[in-house]
Amino acid sequence: MNITEARKVEKKRELGRGAGGETTGKFVPLGERLSRIARYILLAVISLALAFPFYWMVTSGLKTNDEIWQFPPTFWPESINWSNYSDAWNSAPFARYMFNSIFVAISICVLQVINASMMAYALTHMKFRLKGAFTGIILVGYMIPSTAVYLPSYMILNELHLLDSYAGLILSNCVSVFAIFLLRQAFLQVSHELVEAGQLDGASHFRILWTIMAPLIRSSFAVMILITFIDQYNNYFWPMLITKDPDLRLVSAGLRSFFVEGGAYGLAWPQIMAASAFTIAPLLILFLFAQKTIMQSVNISAGVNKS
Amino acid sequence: MRLKTFREGEAVLFTLPALIPLLIFWLGPLGYIVYLSFTEWDFMSPEKLFVGLENYTYLLTHADFYQALKVTLMFGLGTVIPIIVGGLALALLMNSKLRSTGIFRAMMFSPWVTPTVAVSIAWSWIFEPEVGLANLALGWFGISPLGWLQDPNWALVAVMIVTIWKSIGWSMVFYLVALRNLPADLMEAASIDGAGAWNKFRGITLPLISPTTLFLSIILTIQSLQAYDQINVMTQGGPAGSTRTLLYMYYQSAFETFNVGEASAIAVIIILICVLLSGLSFLLSRRLVHYS
Repeated sequence: MNITEARKVEKKRELGRGAGGETTGKFVPLGERLSRIARYILLAVISLALAFPFYWMVTSGLKTNDEIWQFPPTFWPESINWSNYSDAWNSAPFARYMFNSIFVAISICVLQVINASMMAYALTHMKFRLKGAFTGIILVGYMIPSTAVYLPSYMILNELHLLDSYAGLILSNCVSVFAIFLLRQAFLQVSHELVEAGQLDGASHFRILWTIMAPLIRSSFAVMILITFIDQYNNYFWPMLITKDPDLRLVSAGLRSFFVEGGAYGLAWPQIMAASAFTIAPLLILFLFAQKTIMQSVNISAGVNKS
Repeated sequence: MRLKTFREGEAVLFTLPALIPLLIFWLGPLGYIVYLSFTEWDFMSPEKLFVGLENYTYLLTHADFYQALKVTLMFGLGTVIPIIVGGLALALLMNSKLRSTGIFRAMMFSPWVTPTVAVSIAWSWIFEPEVGLANLALGWFGISPLGWLQDPNWALVAVMIVTIWKSIGWSMVFYLVALRNLPADLMEAASIDGAGAWNKFRGITLPLISPTTLFLSIILTIQSLQAYDQINVMTQGGPAGSTRTLLYMYYQSAFETFNVGEASAIAVIIILICVLLSGLSFLLSRRLVHYS
């Protein structure tokens, strides 16, 4: 199989994921049509209910402190107070928090793309004696909760003098078993003949990986990068444990401390809701633009358990 | 021979960028925590005191541990089952020959993308006992208001609701993929043979999507054992320990009361539970799960 053929296979895989199961343009009897409308309404109601907390967050952030404490609550603010958003933004270094989250998340994405693809490539297209053992290690890694080892990881990070540093935040998260699995799955679909052809042309494995293989599995890379970015932007428990310096807080930890200190437990709920709203905004915007790719992660991670 | 060793060396070199951090931050700690669970230490004293099984016997003879175990179990069952059943129900509804459901799918999936801390804060406000939306909604059905996060009987339910809300759309998308991969000819043949919708669902759909169900149960169980963010924001394990899971107890004894040995013993127990459940589901999968 040559490269163009492999591209076609990859293309086919992509298409296979997207296509829907709707029927079109056939004659539909009345009873069936009514039941369709009923199901449609049911779906609309459930979707709105599930998205409602976001609406509630944004609109509560626009209310005055008096209004937010009214019962029954108002479903639309009596007056729009955008100032809550700017007050919240200015009363804690949220710009710094957001920069930290985005910077750390992007750095981790870059490192994971490199180490996960090298590992996945070695496991699928190179021969070595410990291959089985390595695959086993990664399989076990997939089954064991990482939170359970936070305590010794913390102690090790302390020994390495990496607590309270960007390096610690980035390096301690720079490998993901999920990412390795995902890329391994993608590499398994690419014919080994491509590697052999590359070797005949005198290309090194490194070259084959980055110039021949990587472009073929770019859709898997896209999924992996988006999922990693989301996970790391949202990460709270571990980054909070390993940083004491407020300047190093990621956005979730920053928001949580604003909730506890600045918000003083319920006294400034409009500002707290405003802060929550702008914390999730970057992710909802990302989701809006990349929802197809993000939801594709499901296809790929569902494939993980088949091999 | 030399060439072969060289080639193997290159392969190992390829694995190192992932393997080294994996060993330092993952497998090393795994061995370390087993050792720590046999010691007594408080982060301060120069020596770690070897105490054998004392941490385990202490845990196993104290009610706090059993309370946390019970909360963990209830939280696990009370989130994994609704997320799986609800996700499947939504997927079936979505898959039934309806057009332009993309917007609904996106709305249901969106909670999964957003940071748990931020949405837990919003939910804390919804569960506010005096003016919260949750009690307003209960009022519409004539149910008297609840204390939610302040009531030991309901705090765990509230945390479960947030957890289910966060993942139900995610599990739905898994099932949508599985349902779309069902062989159309088999379903048609069953219809021609006169199988009713329920029989078709039980006899064909359910067995054919069982790999998805197994995968989701494993992943969701591991996730439920790791739940921390929503508990930390909404209840911090309280009131009266009613939302203190094993993981939360582990966190508190490690980083609040600095009882490293006891915390490690709890962590080892959590890991054992995970290994046990994974093994069990693997065995179960050979008997019950249908792989095509």
